[in-house]
Amino acid sequence: MRGHGFLLANYVPGNSLLHRAPLALKFALVFACGLASFIIVDWGISAAVLAVLSGLFLLAGAGMKRLWGAVRPLAPVLLAIGLFQWWQLGGPTAARIVLNILVCVVAASLLTGTTPIQQLLDGVVRVARPFKRLGADPERFALTIGIMLRSIPFIAGTFADVRDSARARGLERNPRALVLPVFITSVAYARQTGEALAARGLGEAEDQPA
Amino acid sequence: MPAVTFDQVSVAVETENSPQPKVLLDAVTLRLEEARVGIIGANGSGKSTLLRLVNGLIQPTNGRVAVDGDDTVRAVRKVRRNVGFVFTDPLSQLVMPTGREDVELSLRRSVKNGPERRRQAEAALGRLGLLHLADQSIYELSGGERQLMALAAVLAVDPAVLVLDEPSTLLDLRNRELLRRTLATLDQQIIMSTHDLGLALEMDRVLVIEAGRVAFDGAPAEAVAAYRSWCLQGLDHAARDTR
Repeated sequence: MRGHGFLLANYVPGNSLLHRAPLALKFALVFACGLASFIIVDWGISAAVLAVLSGLFLLAGAGMKRLWGAVRPLAPVLLAIGLFQWWQLGGPTAARIVLNILVCVVAASLLTGTTPIQQLLDGVVRVARPFKRLGADPERFALTIGIMLRSIPFIAGTFADVRDSARARGLERNPRALVLPVFITSVAYARQTGEALAARGLGEAEDQPA
Repeated sequence: MPAVTFDQVSVAVETENSPQPKVLLDAVTLRLEEARVGIIGANGSGKSTLLRLVNGLIQPTNGRVAVDGDDTVRAVRKVRRNVGFVFTDPLSQLVMPTGREDVELSLRRSVKNGPERRRQAEAALGRLGLLHLADQSIYELSGGERQLMALAAVLAVDPAVLVLDEPSTLLDLRNRELLRRTLATLDQQIIMSTHDLGLALEMDRVLVIEAGRVAFDGAPAEAVAAYRSWCLQGLDHAARDTR
């Protein structure tokens, strides 16, 4: 299982400025990058922002390999989007769209690469605390985010495995041979994860009255 | 040691192919108080069902299961605080990208303070000699290291009972030995299903499960001998049938 092929970088222990930066500031950076991707209309600015973020990523000690690891799984999708947009809207627009997606991915990787997951979850719990009055459990919010961070690479890894086995049987052009096993494996994974969490008493219902 | 009790416990599930429910466990009555209890039996005999009942992962169709007097249905939260569960495949159990994060996840309910939680997670990893692997991706660990990591995540909250469902099935000889030695050092009551008959011989009491019933309950050597004899008998019958 290639579950470690991941879209966002895993946490890299360190003591860089970004590691020490408050979580809220890093959240704000990701949010600003997401917002900027709608506002920036010049591909040159997108490229400059991407260069700055990549520089910060390397300064944090996360390394070129991790940066490439965060971007690589997206390469085929970005290529397809880029070619389509180039055909429809021309080169500069295609470059801007592709670069803006990369800006968002690298910004998110900066956050996950320099923040331990538990610190991230603590942040989510703090943000979700006001919803407690409405009956929501902030810990469940955090748990959902944590599970999502773990599940995306698992499903990406499953897809890679299924594609290889379809290729080995000469079925790489058959969508059913690709989609169905990924769907079944993902459902099984969700059930297993739910069971594992329940066994550890995480995210479970209250005791029934006697 | 806490007492795990089964009182006339049956588990049955609906199946598509038959109008009658399939019986996974049939009127089992037990009281488990020994420090080390082994459960052996063929695949599909009901071992995992029996173990899952202890943690409340499965509810009995009939009867009652209790851990130290707490009903596993009505007081499931309390039961799960007292009963740690280790699955056969640690990858199903480890839900965070690294061991440290997974152990900290276990502690989230009981320890709200971040630095204290980190300290306790490190202590839990240190007890099993896993601190040097704490920040490695779980995919980069060997099978044995992953299983020990899953064990550390369960032990971090200090359960009184540890239930293990065939924990050594996916492990090679070295990792199996590593797990065996680690389990031997634990203070918890251990209830474990296994196909490793050598490991079963080290228990205080062994149950042989056959077709949802307790076919033998007693001293490990006798239980293993009885199980071996039934398995071989089955093979002899099968060989005769194919002639």
